[in-house]
Amino acid sequence: MDKPVLTLRDLSIEFPMPQGIVQAVKSLSLDIHKGRRVGFIGESGSGKTTTALAVMQMLAEPGRVAGGSIDLGGTDILALTEEQMRGTRLARIAYIPQGAMNSLNPVMRIEPQMWDGIIAHEGHVDRATLKARSDAALESVGLPKHTADLYPHELSGGMKQRVCIAMGIILNPELIIADEPTSALDVVTQRQVMQTLKDIQSQIGSGLMLIGHDMGLMAQTVDELAVLKDGELVEHGVVKQILEAPKHPYTQDLISSVPLVGGDSFLNPDARADAPERDSPEPLLRFENVRKDYGAVTALHPMSFTLQGDTPQIISIVGQSGSGKSTMGSIMLGFNPPSEGKVLFEGQDVQAMGAAQSLDFRKNVQAVFQDPYACFNPFYRVNHALKFPFKQFGLAQSDAHTQTAMEEACDAVGLDPDLVLTRYPHQLSGGQRQRLIVARALMLSPKLLIADEPVSMVDASLRASILSNIYDLKDKYGISILYITHDLATAYHVSDYVMVLFKGHVVEAGPPKDVIGAPQHPYTQLLIDSIPWPDLERSWGDGRDNWDPTELEAEAERAQAVYRGDVPGFDLVRI
Amino acid sequence: MATQDQIPPTRAERRQARRIRRFDNPWLNPKLLWGAGFLVGIIILGLVGRMLWDLELVFTGSSPLKLPPIGFENLRGQPGVLEHPLGTDGGGRDLLALIIIGAPNTLFVGLLASLIGMSIGIFLGFSAGFLGGRVDDVIRVGADVMITIPPLLILVVFQSAFGDVTLTMMALLIAGFVWQSPTRLIRAQVLSMKQSGYVQMAQLSGASTGHIMFREMLPNLVPYLFGSFIASVTTSIVTAVGLEVLGLGPQRIPTLGRTIYEAINAGALIQNLWWWWGLPTLLLGVIFIGLLLINLGLDEVSNPRLRRLS
Repeated sequence: MDKPVLTLRDLSIEFPMPQGIVQAVKSLSLDIHKGRRVGFIGESGSGKTTTALAVMQMLAEPGRVAGGSIDLGGTDILALTEEQMRGTRLARIAYIPQGAMNSLNPVMRIEPQMWDGIIAHEGHVDRATLKARSDAALESVGLPKHTADLYPHELSGGMKQRVCIAMGIILNPELIIADEPTSALDVVTQRQVMQTLKDIQSQIGSGLMLIGHDMGLMAQTVDELAVLKDGELVEHGVVKQILEAPKHPYTQDLISSVPLVGGDSFLNPDARADAPERDSPEPLLRFENVRKDYGAVTALHPMSFTLQGDTPQIISIVGQSGSGKSTMGSIMLGFNPPSEGKVLFEGQDVQAMGAAQSLDFRKNVQAVFQDPYACFNPFYRVNHALKFPFKQFGLAQSDAHTQTAMEEACDAVGLDPDLVLTRYPHQLSGGQRQRLIVARALMLSPKLLIADEPVSMVDASLRASILSNIYDLKDKYGISILYITHDLATAYHVSDYVMVLFKGHVVEAGPPKDVIGAPQHPYTQLLIDSIPWPDLERSWGDGRDNWDPTELEAEAERAQAVYRGDVPGFDLVRI
Repeated sequence: MATQDQIPPTRAERRQARRIRRFDNPWLNPKLLWGAGFLVGIIILGLVGRMLWDLELVFTGSSPLKLPPIGFENLRGQPGVLEHPLGTDGGGRDLLALIIIGAPNTLFVGLLASLIGMSIGIFLGFSAGFLGGRVDDVIRVGADVMITIPPLLILVVFQSAFGDVTLTMMALLIAGFVWQSPTRLIRAQVLSMKQSGYVQMAQLSGASTGHIMFREMLPNLVPYLFGSFIASVTTSIVTAVGLEVLGLGPQRIPTLGRTIYEAINAGALIQNLWWWWGLPTLLLGVIFIGLLLINLGLDEVSNPRLRRLS
């Protein structure tokens, strides 16, 4: 085998902080060979991105390489001057950033942005050559030539990310570093972008360092896997070996935390208990021909359903971004008035409530949002978020009672109340905050909980435990839950009924075993095929080469909605 | 780090530790402390001066004319005397007494004007950002129009019409021209904060609009409000001094600007009576530098990225 493209030897990176020195990476040694794809996987803060930035010599202040060496195909990176390093970036190491939407200059067309890289490294190049090279690069990532004349805002997220890839490979680098290149994209686009990246990498034969936290994506993309935890390389090997026989307990956790459709459930079946009786004969929630327009665009086409709520159920609403699922959520919460139709909560129109009714509605309909970082007011300690609604809804009998209720709620979601309640939000991790939000909902014992992507911003290893927290609440406290998500695997496990939304229409609905386990509508099939499985046998759906989502989407648009059987207590009006 | 437990810290280490403590508590940064020190110094000058110095000396003719500060001679060869340590002006007023009364007065006009302006700004900014719609349109257009009008021009007309005004009246008039930028700033912040998760959470908790505005949003605006407040104090003082130097504003109350006006009017520049206009200018300089330092210090409080360890 020839010399590796990148050799890391005992690499240590540290950040001197007021509190002391933080060791971000601890003596990491690794080789990346030509044409090999190496995945770096680990939770946020495990040192993946820091390692990549060190290779680029772009560590953020005050980070510094404390020891070890970085060798790029015979060049000692750490010994290069700033000017030599500038010449090395892009020409020899390309970096594909996480948020492609922010990486392109919004006031420049695509073409000149691509030329910038060439000119910066090769000096004056005549226009025809530049044009030929940028066109070739765009073509290689599967974008039409006229993309070159567009501005970034005219492209979709997936196209922007592909433009970033095209820019990265325009100088045929020896090493491509891709830092969670698809984390902001939905599954269908993710699959498309990853395939582009794989193709182009094998074409130019460079090494690829793929940073991510999704075991499934890694399994479908890379040859070797490096597992990082707290700055240490805990396991490194060929993907097959790591997936089939993980040695380190952390790796085992990572693999087992990925929910599979049809796999073992991560839920606790013993939590079932009798739900409290409801005192209203009216159905809990009812949509009557609800439609929502944003300007000329219809985000949600007329939809009617009734959720009885006598037995607590979890109804999942799945779809890509832009399918109208979050719009549905905000309409249910009354944040967003429907353009047409009515939302009835226990027979009351949500948009036409008096002050007292409104307070009652707020108490009974609670939500868990996507971003656990934004949900706490940075000014207050976190117990403010729990205490305030409890008092506001008149549930608190005394301060001591509030305190006990908060402690109980924390215990119920597996948090130590003494440890978390008196902290400020920035002192807690994303997982802890999201659990606190669940605890908050629990204290209020609502009748309906709207969970809008509750785990999409939480580390993979925590997702399962937060979802099972939510799931346990359903039976324990008799809460009906609307689970809005793009993640079909978790919807498969937690829900009693699934609705698949595509461009504001329900395209397939029914029990999850049918809809997700054996999809019939082309769109549901497309979604399921796009999920990267942590399973080498199952090569990204069926492994067809001519997989073209645009065509499949067009097909999906022509197809009729498929209704797959009913579940008592939930009644979707078929259109 | 662990070695520090055994070995007594060297002086360099102690200094480092002090820096780190200062880093941890952003309100203790040196710029903010110095700036606040300057302003407090002006206020103390006013308070202590009132107790120790004879304030009757601010009246015309209470002292000999055109005496220099101690250690200098005027054009007539008279040396400075201990009874008038900072000299006297062409009207026979003692400069120390003028400064003791005038400097706090100038600061008072600035603070009062921007306090009123900020209150208007907070109220309008929150209303515009939170209520939106027609209210927002009216407030936004109003603020934008007001920003384009040069305040000095209008104030000159107003003040000439009013003739002699009190300090409070003057502050009120100036306040009418310093509310626009806080309004715009707060409106923008409220608009972005309205979308934030914790405001939605508060709505879910059944919080009233007042609660959301003042208990959830306002505390997070404090650094911006402080910054904006200091900036408008600066603007107010510049405007007030500008008017006074033109001879408008309060006629019978000593302020720094009025002293400069009289100095210019009496030809202090050509008579080489530098202490007459120089000392008030110096004090204005101290006030402005103090405000600038506070503003820079507040920037570090609200933007941790500006903080440095060394």
